[in-house]
Amino acid sequence: MRMTVYHGEPNGPSLTVLAALFEKGLDAELIHIDLAKGQRHKLPFALQPEVAMSVEGEGPVVVVDGEAMTDSVFIACYFDELSQDNALRPSDSYARWEMMSWCRQLIERTAPAAAFVGCSAYVPSCDPTTLARIGSLDLRARWQDTAGVVADERLADCKARIAQAVAKIEARLEGSEWLMGGFSVADLESYAWLAGMVELVPSAFVDRPRTADWMKRVRARPAVKRALSLARGPAPAHAWAPGPEINRWG
Amino acid sequence: MSDVTLFHWEPNANSGKPMLALMEKGVAFDSHYLDLLNFDQHRPDYLAINPQGTIPAMKHGNRVLTESTAIMEYVEEAFPGPTLVPRHPQDRWRVRWWMKWMDQWLGPSFSMIGWNVFVGPAVRSKDPDELKAAIERIPLPERRVAWRKAIYGLFGDVEMKESQRRVALGIRMLETSLGEREWLASDQYSLADINGFNLAYALPLSQPTLSNDELTPNILRWLRAIYARPATKACWAMGRTAMVKRVAILEQKDIGMERVP
Repeated sequence: MRMTVYHGEPNGPSLTVLAALFEKGLDAELIHIDLAKGQRHKLPFALQPEVAMSVEGEGPVVVVDGEAMTDSVFIACYFDELSQDNALRPSDSYARWEMMSWCRQLIERTAPAAAFVGCSAYVPSCDPTTLARIGSLDLRARWQDTAGVVADERLADCKARIAQAVAKIEARLEGSEWLMGGFSVADLESYAWLAGMVELVPSAFVDRPRTADWMKRVRARPAVKRALSLARGPAPAHAWAPGPEINRWG
Repeated sequence: MSDVTLFHWEPNANSGKPMLALMEKGVAFDSHYLDLLNFDQHRPDYLAINPQGTIPAMKHGNRVLTESTAIMEYVEEAFPGPTLVPRHPQDRWRVRWWMKWMDQWLGPSFSMIGWNVFVGPAVRSKDPDELKAAIERIPLPERRVAWRKAIYGLFGDVEMKESQRRVALGIRMLETSLGEREWLASDQYSLADINGFNLAYALPLSQPTLSNDELTPNILRWLRAIYARPATKACWAMGRTAMVKRVAILEQKDIGMERVP
């Protein structure tokens, strides 16, 4: 089996995928692409449906035996299923349901908000030729949307969603080191979307001691350190590209 | 009496997903029908079970599970019976990818159209004050917005057009994928097919110019194959509304553009 991971700066979904790969001790060729410049759309498989139409928006792509795979949580599950060692998901079915529904709500509510806040502070830019190559019209619209957002209702709403996510994490960590008891994909995915929010939505993190300690614990993991060491720029948490869309219908 | 209770509406969209998964697995469950059109899901007795007031929810023993796709994955793992997820990790990834794409990208567009033409008109004739009070009881703010739009017919042209665009594109994507494989995400019948059937079972009726035997033969082959399964028949027989009885369209052969109604 030959595996290649195309990833951006270690932030958001790229951080989840890289750290999950290292947690599992799997071998893959790593190729850095600048997601914030739309470089994913220049890759030969960019128009395959599972890449072009990925709900995650601009995220990493893992290619295995010619098939291009996207969506960080599911890639992490895929890695987890390749070997028994260093499990990244609980073994009990109910705990696993908890993890999957946690990630689902995070992907649906928190990730779009974080990407929007991130892109409004650190505006990604994609030249017109690249923009025209983007297969998904709604993702293309989100790229066009990133230019010039300063303060509108959506930004305030997104910041409120970040605060809700942090409150939920704080509550969840009562009496526990990790979100699902043992370390899991939920810790990686939650951390990856929120690490960059500490600076951009500081009020969400005020008086959240358990969350602060948990973030330190995640950062201290060798796999996360190794993922962060792959950064090309000085501050990976400043690297943003259009993410999942904000729910257009309840 | 079973130790599984499913709180559900019709075999349609989210409710139908765990219903059909349980029935395919042969897991007996107590059915607790909530009438979505009567706002049963926002009443205190149900909010005590699922404070978010979303349907479906499943009780297994004393535990309550929500989120229909995550419930299906739980059903697959927690109970014996035929496997509904392939073994190969790459196939499993594909099952999850297609389910998320349907849950978060295609499904909401189908649902917006369905709420506009079916759910909204079905409740609009109720007493205005009663409707207002019903909306105020909805716990999730985004669901409140959704219901308000459906009840008062407030969907804008732009958002309806965008939903139509997505439905048309989604149908093309399903057709292409089903041209490459027997089932949606792998060579085995899986949760992705159960998910997809709940979304698309009435497609040749709801989108006759986009999906029929001429334009989308693979989708029609797929829908008929799922409908032929005993579990699907039994599940759809639990439906009470005209919306769900539309599944009978799949008994017709050669559904063309100019179908006789």
